[in-house]
Amino acid sequence: MNRSRTWVLTFLLVAGSCTSYNHPETAATQLKFGTDVAKKGLWREAAFRYEQAIAKAPDNAHAHNNLAVALEANGDFARALTEYKKALELAPNDNYIRRNYARFAEFYTSYTKTTGKAASVP
Amino acid sequence: MFRRARAAAFALGLFAAAAAAFASPEQVKLRLPLKAKLPLRGNERIALAPFILVTDAEKARDKRLQNVDLQGEFHRFLKKQLEKKTKFEVVEAPPDVKLPTQNLTELARASEFWAAVGAQTNSEIVVSGSLEFKVEDRSGYKTEEYTSPIDGRTYYRQVYVEQTGFLFDIVFLVLDGRTGEKLLQDEFKDFRQTSSRKADELQGLFENLFSLENQILNTFVARDREAERYIFKD
Repeated sequence: MNRSRTWVLTFLLVAGSCTSYNHPETAATQLKFGTDVAKKGLWREAAFRYEQAIAKAPDNAHAHNNLAVALEANGDFARALTEYKKALELAPNDNYIRRNYARFAEFYTSYTKTTGKAASVP
Repeated sequence: MFRRARAAAFALGLFAAAAAAFASPEQVKLRLPLKAKLPLRGNERIALAPFILVTDAEKARDKRLQNVDLQGEFHRFLKKQLEKKTKFEVVEAPPDVKLPTQNLTELARASEFWAAVGAQTNSEIVVSGSLEFKVEDRSGYKTEEYTSPIDGRTYYRQVYVEQTGFLFDIVFLVLDGRTGEKLLQDEFKDFRQTSSRKADELQGLFENLFSLENQILNTFVARDREAERYIFKD
């Protein structure tokens, strides 16, 4: 009896992890799908997926970072700045997000200096 | 039995947490737009005026620089790049155009002179500035670490390294051909080093120029540049 209960428990665990992969509405799935399409250069689709992920999990720093990168690739720099700041606010010690933000800040400062579009990055 | 199942579930949870913690992000490449530094229409007539040659004083001492017609090579390069990658009409200022001064600050302020060049060449934009090209023999003894295969200890030893350095420093002056007023002043610098003593100076010059090409063209037209970012999968 106990043995069968163990098998049922293990089956449920495995099945649970498999089914979550197929649910397009979860933040994790949206994030993964967004990254897959981003790697193919489909940045608009990626941005949409990351926005969906944020709608499901607003405190996910990785989703905010990814959305910032996608917005940057689409040329929406002002919104990218807001998303990078949000990602850093949620995960201030994440070295990858910090590195992304530093590189973006360098680019955005020179971009705004030449176009005068917005105030420089603080 | 229940205890074993709980232990298995706990182990699975731990594994998932560890996998999430060590999940490294993916590096992706983006192309970021660089807007032109000057708000031009894109079809203006541009006159290339002479540049001040900062290396002139050193030419007498350095025989290798005597072989390089810096003014001519740079003009040729700039004209070719502008004609190939933009829609500007590029003309050379007539050979009788002589710079009124060899001082860059004064040159930038010589609005009457530039307006005259603009009128003479019928150009809306005039480009001038200064050029500095240096070939440096950087050969010499350098200290390096050396681990002896006999006793396994690390020593420092002096080795002779042959190197040549090429330095190119361009100051760009972009002037309004109608008023002669300065529109923009910008500096581009590049340093290249080769691992041979008698590297060819013309080859060095063009290595410098091609690495500055994007920056130079970005003065007049929009360009893009590659950037790397990290994105996460989970």
